[in-house]
Formats: sequence, structure tokens, C-alpha cells
Amino acid sequence: METLQLTQGVVNAILLSGTLTLVAIGFSIVWGILNIINLAHGAFLMVGAYITYWLFTLYGVDPFLSLPISMLTMFVVGYMVQRYLINLVIRAPLLVTFLLTFALEIIIINLATFFWKGDLRSVTPDYAGLGFTIGDVQIPYVRLAAFVISLVLTGLLHVFMTYTKTGNAIRATGMDIDAARLQGVRIPQTYALTYALGTALAAGAGTLISISFPIDPTMGGAYTLRAFVICVLGGLGSIPGVILGALLFSFIEVFSGIWAPSLKDAIALLVLVLVLIFRPSGIAGKAFYH
Amino acid sequence: MPVESTEVEISNGAYRAVVNVVSFIPTHSKRSKEMSKRLLILIVVLLITVMALAACSKATTPAPAQEQTQEQTTEEKAPAGGEECKVVFGAAVSLTGKYAKEGEYVKNGYELYVEEINKQGGIPVGDKRCKVELKIYDDESNADRSAQLVEKLITEDKVTFLLGPYGSGNTFATTAIAEKYKVPMVEANGAATKIFNRGFKYSFAVLTPAPYYLRGIIDMALDKDPNLKTVAIVIENGAFALEVAQGAKDYAEEKGLDVVYFDKYAKAAKDVSSLITAMKSKNPDIVLGAGHLQDTILVMKQSKDLGLSPKVFGFSVGPTSPEFRKALGKDADYVVGAAQWTPELKYKSDDIFGTPQHFTELYKAKYGEIPPYQAAESAAALIAYQKAIEAAGSLDKDKVRDALAALDYDSFYGKLKFNEQGMNVYKPMAVMQNYTDGGLYTVWPKEAAVKEFLYPFVPWDQR
Amino acid sequence: MSDQKKAPIRFSSLDGLFKGRQGVLFSIFLLFILFLGVFPFLPFASGFWLNTLTLILLLAAMSIGWNFIGGYTGYAAFGNVAFFGIGAYGTGLSMIRLGLSFFPALLIGAVAAMVFAILIGLPILRLKGHYFAIATVAIATALGEIADSWTSFTGGAAGITLPFFDPIEWSGQFFYYMAYLLAIGGLLLTWFILNRKMGYSWVAIREDEDAANMMGINTTWSKVMAFALSALMAGLAGGIYAYWKTFVLAEEVFKIEYTLQMILAAVLGGTGTIFGPFIGAFIYYILITLLVFFLPVGQLHATILGAIIILVMVFTPKGLMDFISGRKKLSINALLENIRTYRV
Repeated sequence: METLQLTQGVVNAILLSGTLTLVAIGFSIVWGILNIINLAHGAFLMVGAYITYWLFTLYGVDPFLSLPISMLTMFVVGYMVQRYLINLVIRAPLLVTFLLTFALEIIIINLATFFWKGDLRSVTPDYAGLGFTIGDVQIPYVRLAAFVISLVLTGLLHVFMTYTKTGNAIRATGMDIDAARLQGVRIPQTYALTYALGTALAAGAGTLISISFPIDPTMGGAYTLRAFVICVLGGLGSIPGVILGALLFSFIEVFSGIWAPSLKDAIALLVLVLVLIFRPSGIAGKAFYH
Repeated sequence: MPVESTEVEISNGAYRAVVNVVSFIPTHSKRSKEMSKRLLILIVVLLITVMALAACSKATTPAPAQEQTQEQTTEEKAPAGGEECKVVFGAAVSLTGKYAKEGEYVKNGYELYVEEINKQGGIPVGDKRCKVELKIYDDESNADRSAQLVEKLITEDKVTFLLGPYGSGNTFATTAIAEKYKVPMVEANGAATKIFNRGFKYSFAVLTPAPYYLRGIIDMALDKDPNLKTVAIVIENGAFALEVAQGAKDYAEEKGLDVVYFDKYAKAAKDVSSLITAMKSKNPDIVLGAGHLQDTILVMKQSKDLGLSPKVFGFSVGPTSPEFRKALGKDADYVVGAAQWTPELKYKSDDIFGTPQHFTELYKAKYGEIPPYQAAESAAALIAYQKAIEAAGSLDKDKVRDALAALDYDSFYGKLKFNEQGMNVYKPMAVMQNYTDGGLYTVWPKEAAVKEFLYPFVPWDQR
Repeated sequence: MSDQKKAPIRFSSLDGLFKGRQGVLFSIFLLFILFLGVFPFLPFASGFWLNTLTLILLLAAMSIGWNFIGGYTGYAAFGNVAFFGIGAYGTGLSMIRLGLSFFPALLIGAVAAMVFAILIGLPILRLKGHYFAIATVAIATALGEIADSWTSFTGGAAGITLPFFDPIEWSGQFFYYMAYLLAIGGLLLTWFILNRKMGYSWVAIREDEDAANMMGINTTWSKVMAFALSALMAGLAGGIYAYWKTFVLAEEVFKIEYTLQMILAAVLGGTGTIFGPFIGAFIYYILITLLVFFLPVGQLHATILGAIIILVMVFTPKGLMDFISGRKKLSINALLENIRTYRV
């Protein structure tokens, strides 16, 4: 493979890892704290992307500016969903919550297809194709911006979780729910808050993705799967773990896209299975979130 | 109830079965009473539901909605004469789901034909005119559903003839059923040749099959510049696209071109830059793509990004849609796309529509937009039936089947003629081009073209 | 067959319950099954009905299989459609590449599915809960993709076409009976195993795997067998489906919808019971149909399905069997019990 392809591949992988970190981090906190696999994660991501699309298409709102809007909207939605639906059965066996979030995903995607039709759409602001080049390697502005923003949001999350009272409450709930309850943490609301954060981050990722790639109602599933793989690769325990996992995964994805384009997903999934078999706690992680 | 003795006698195994079946019953007789009562109710309900649904669907005037989701349409116009003869065409069409948009075009095409023919009293059969009715069910873009509904159409609704669904997968499923019951099916929307390589006698397709899709573009390019040498083909990993690509490759080689690149990308891929880069390194004269609208747009976008500028850019699907131009703006200029049919073709026929322009007029009047080719080919399927019925002089399924096999007719859609496998290899593919003035014009076949083919594709860096 | 005084584990045999009411019970079940057995000969059995019931019975078969690993053993496998697909491709490829007739090809497809289950089961059944579930989904998805791309072997995205059943006029009845026999076979298989050590060990694993291990049960063997048997059912169903439809397309036979349906059927009827999945398949289908009947908006079917799943998961995740069996009375209280137990 020529050097150009290699270098461009490396650059693409790095840029991609930022967005994927954002995709995975929301998923990771829900899994780590609530111990549920949120199969609707991708669907929320998709809705975030569409919010950006409609704001852009109907009102000309710059996609980056729509980020807070999509995140806030989905935060509220996520809060409601967790508080009034998932909380009802959250301590039930795996099958129940798995199927529940699966059903949510089905409903959201179906409604999206119904209202917005299944066609692919693109958010194409004027600066979409622009970028700069280092040598022959192209670095589109939007992807760079997405990378930076993702890392900023991830950093903010870390700060929130570590240095604020609410953040600590969330982590405590994840570590030992009874102790947390005894300390006065209100569990239903904390759970709802955690899920809402996860949803909001997913929506943010959706917004950023919509600027670089076409979107359609079924786009979410692939991202949920990627979030899985990243969390397993990097371990469920920590934010740096997720970043590492995302980086590793991005490389796998970009390079398998070059060598075997039609098997891209299969390769990623097989990596997942191998990691699960040989090192289920992931490359860097622990089994719970802290 | 003294069933024990008889049950025990049946077999030891049955006894053990019973014992295990009832294992979820607690031992107390009171609760077991409860249990058997509930179970009894459940079973009876199941049986009754099954019977009721079976009975309902036997009715000749069907209830509004039955087993599956349906959107039934029965179109009737008051017949001219007082004759009581009817031809019922049945179809399972994708009105919802993945192919909903295309399915709608198909339905529109069918309905437009039925409306027009019934204005004349119906299809001529012998010396009568038989009113035409349509029975359409929604198969939800699902192959299982399609198959079920076609069974229903044949065995319960007892339609006279079948029309095809949308999409190769669904068509696969339904042609087998048509063959089983020996009911002719003329379909207009499944172009994969695999469907027709199975020796079925009762299935016919009016549309040009997949391997022929890109022939028009190749012919047109070579006609304009016989010195073209190399072709690169980029393919979406899908049944239809693969056939298109293979057909294009074979034809290109037949014409003396060198296929320098031939590779696939994943369905609904979001990034094909590595393929574009690879093609660029081969410097092809012609780049052909087989896929769907979105990947075609993607290929164009990334070709611009990476600077791939062949002399001709042609795609099987995409350039003829308004979304293509909308998504790419000026970048769509010069790109050509294959088309089964366009409203501008200069065909002339004595069928009920006469010319593509007249069909377009009628379609626009009824549906408010320019007819897409799916609508035209769907109407064409019915025209094929009409001409076959006229030739056979009867509605007998086998006679009409034979008449279809022998059909050779020029319709507003093009030539309708089927080879031994039931495919219409006789109708040429048209080509449309996105012009620099923002319009989309038919540029091939020459006799039917509205404007001339603009050549060559102006390289990206010269725009 | 052994005695058991109580029935906390629902498969146990109970002596003497064969008399009286229970006898009625069984005869009702028998009636239903006999009815299905003679259905094709009944006057109103049209091609459409055969088609529909064949689908339901195939679902029942797959669901019965899923019940082995998901219901009895407690390992929520979410990728059983992988076995369906392997069975379909195995059968199809054997018929067209090796020129075999249907039954040998079907056998190959089923064996391939079982072997695959054993090979993949050995490593992934060591995983627990979520990880196992994800691994199964990942495998099923990856297999689907590989089948879709591996053009030289599987025909890639274009798929493969099979010869059709000869004489074609009887194909409806043939496939109906194939599905029927498979489903009944599954029921018998369930009942058969449950009377043996393996059946007990499955439930023991579900209730407390470590304790089971300590009691000397070879949990690995049991789990892998449960997985392999679920693969057998799904694989056979896949092979029958392939020949019935006369074509195999990767995107059709590796659809996650099939996994969802088989799980849902098992859940609706009652996981961990013999008849649950079988009845559940019918309940599922009737539910969908009735809801469609009353809400004929085709585009929103999936939403309806999702809503059903949510309702079931929130109110009756153990299925309807408990209410049917009288174990629980059907009341608002009973429905809310699940929430009370599991809410936070």
C-alpha cells in the first residue's frame, strides 16, 4: 500500500476516533452505571442527527450551532424514557431490559421512517468540502472540528463526573447502589439523569456525524454496535479506556475499509468476539464504572 | 371426564407426555380446575380465531382489512355495455417499508392504466369488452409477506392474472408461486436474471433485465468516440447491482474495451475513497457505477474530492433522479444515467397511451408530477396483458400465457417482446444526461434523443 | 419419569395428574395438534392458509429451540438466526453444489449449524449475561455480512437459487408438513430431554450456575448441548425455509427480526415451559394480525410490534403461561407485580 494511502488512513482513523469516542462514551456510562445495554443508543444518535438536519434545512441553523439544541432535546427525552419506562423494570433480568431497549429502538426507527421517509439525507453547509492539506494528506475542516468537539465534550463529562456532586452521586450509584441510597442519593432520578446524559451524548455524536456523512433512519444500529465493540475493547471502567478503545477501533475500521471494504463490519465484529473470548474485561478496563 | 383409560391406552409415551405437559399444574385440584379452564379457553379461542379468519377470507367481497395489512384498491368505472365480464389483476406491492416510494409509483402506473382502459369499457376479449379490476395488497417490502399475499390472491381472491411486486427479492418469492398455480405473472420491477433462469413458463418481465442496463451508455460512448479504451466499474454489493456490473463488463469486453477495475463496496457504504483512489491510479476513460442513488452521489462527491475525472461518468441508478441534481448541483453536470424509459422518448404506439408524452400528460394530470419509469413500466405490464388477451381472444390462463410468449408489440414504453425465459431483451435502455443548463435530457438512443450527448466530461480541476 | 411433590421447576412430572382435569387438558392440546395435523385436508385450507401456518410452525420450531438455551438454561442468546442462516445456506449449497436431494441436504445444513454452535459455543458460553448476548448478536451479524460478500462460496449478495419441489402443486402441503413435523419433533425433544439429567442440569444452571458446578454437573457440556440443540432446530427450520422459498439471500436469512420473533414467541408463551414457545408462536402471530386488523397503517407495524414488546416486558415478561396455568390470577395486581419487583 502506498505511503499516501497509509498516511491518509492514519489521519482518517485519528479523526474518526474522536467521534467514535463520543458515540461510545454515552453508551458506556449507561452500561457501567445502570447495567443495561441500551440498544436504543443508535436510535437516539439518529434523532440527534435529524434534529440537526431539520434545523439546517428548514431554518438554516448552522449544524455546529445546533449541537446544544439536539443534545438538550434528547437529554429531556432520555430522562423521560428512563424515569417513566425503563426504571420500571430496571432490576429485572437481562432479557427484559435487552428486549425493552430493543423495542424502543424499533419504535424510534419506525417512527422516524414514517415521518421523515427512508431516504438518505445530507447536511451540507457551504464549508462542507473544505479542508487543508499537509503534503497530499487531506484534512477536512468539519472532521477536525468534530474531533475537537468530541474530545471537549468527553472532557466535560469527565469533569462533571469527577468534580461535581451530582457526578459523584452518579458514580456512587454505579459502584454501590445501596450505599448511595443510604447517603441520600435519589436513585430513580440519578438513573434518569445518567440515561439522559447518555442520550444527550449520543445525540451530540449524531449531530457531528450528520455533517460528514449522509444520514438515514437506520443509521443508528451500526453505531450501537460500534459502541459495544469499543466498550469491550477499552473496558467499561473508565473514560481513558473508552478513548483508547475508540482509537483502536478506528484503526481497525479504516484499514479494513481499505483492504476489504465489503467485510468491514464483519471484521469489527469478529474482533469483538475475539476480545470477548480472550479478555472480556477489555484491554484497559475493569468491570464497573468508576 | 373419563379420558384417562383411553389416553393411557394410546401409548406409554403419550402418558409420559401428558404427565409432563401438565407439569406446570400445581397439585391442588382447585387450581388445576382453574388451569384447565384457562387452557381450555385459550385453545378454544385459538381454534375459533383460526376458523373465523379462515371463514372471513373466503368471502368474495373481502372485508376491509384481514390477515395482513392491506391497502386494497378496487378500481371500477361504469362499463360501457351491460356485459358482466371482469378481468381481475392482482398484485402484492410494497406500499410501505423499504420500497414504499417505488411501490407507490408502481401502484400509480397500474391504476392509471386501469382508469384509462375502463373509460373504453375495458379490455377487448373476443367481441366483448371486459371491465378491469385491480386488487392490490401491501407486502411491506417483505419477501415472506409478498409470497403469502400472492397465495392469497390466487387461492382466495381468485384473481385472473398476476402483476409483479417491486424488487428482486419479492419477485423471486412470488414468481415461484405463480408457477405453482400456473397463473401468468407479468412483472415490471424485478430485473435480476436469476429470477428467470429457473425455467418458469408463467413469468414475464417487461423491463430490460439487469445485465443490459449499462449497454446504452457503452454504446453511446463508443458511438461518440470509438477511441475509448478503458473502463472502470464500481459496484454496490447487492444482487441487482452485481448483475448490472457483470453484464456491463461482459458487454464492454465484447466491444473491445479493457475493464481495468472491477470492485465492490459495501451496501449503504458511507465512504468509498479507497476505491476511488484505486480507480484514479488506473486512469480509466469511462467510469461506470452500479448501485443506488445514494452511493452514486457518494461516488461523485468523493471523485471530486480525490480528483477522478474520466471522459464519461455513467451509472445504472441515480443520475435520472431529481435528488441527484439537488445533492450535487453543478457537480452533476455531464453525468449520464441509464433509464428504462423517459418521458421524452419518441416512441409511437397504438396502445392506449400512444406516446410517452401523452402518458406523461395523463400521469401528471392524475398525480401531479412527472411519471418515473417505474410507473411507466407498470402500466406497460398491463398493456402486455391487454395485447396478449386480445390475441388469445379469451381470458384462459394458458392461452394468454402462450400469447404473452409470442408477443411482439411496440408500446409507448418500448418494444414488448419476451425471450424463451420470459425476459424482455428487445427493448433498448435509454440514457439521460445531466446537462450544463441544469436540465435532464434523453440523449440515447439517437433516434429517440432530445439533445445530443455532451462529451467529454469536463475534469474537476477545469471547472 | 420421576415423582416430584411440588413444581417449582416447571418441567417436573407429576404422578396421578393424568386423571381427571389434566386428562382433559392434554386431550385439548392433542386436539389442537391433531387439528393442525389434518389441516391441509380440510375444506377451507387454501394455499394462503398453508403458507401462513407454515410460517407460524417454523417460528414455533425456532422458538422451541431458543427455549433450550434461553428459557431453560437462562443464557439469553440473541443471535440464533445465525443457525437459521447456516441451515439455509448449508441445505441450499448442498443441493446445488453437491447435487444432493432435499433430505440429505437438510441434514447437512442442520449438522453444519450444530457443529458451528458447538465450536462457537465452547468459547462464548463462558461469558455471562450481557457479554454472551452481545457476542451472539455480533456473530450473527458478522455471519450475515460474510455470507453477503463471499460471492464464490455463497453467491454473495445475489444469493443462490434452489430447484423447486416436484410436483410443484403439492409443495404447499409438503412444506407445511415439514414445518409441522419439525415443530412437533421439537416438542417431543423438549419433553424427552427434560426427563433426563441434561434437562435438570439446564435448569440448575439457570438458577445457580456455581452451585450446579459444585454439585458436579458438567455445566460446559450442558450449556453447549443446549446451544447446539437450539442450533439444530433453527438450522432445520432454515433448511426447510430455503427449499420452500427456492432461494437463499443473505439479507433474508440472517435477519435479526427472526431472532426477535423467536424470542418473543417464547416469552409470550412462557420461557422454560414445554408448550410455551409453540403456543407463543401462535399467540404472537395472532396478536400481530389482530393489531394490524384494527390499525391498518402499514408503515407503523414495527411501532406496534415495539409497543407489544414493551408491554410484555413491563407487565408479563414471564409470558402468559402463568396466567393460563392458573398459577397466577389475572388481575391488575398480578400485572403490576413485575414492576413492583423490578423497579428502582
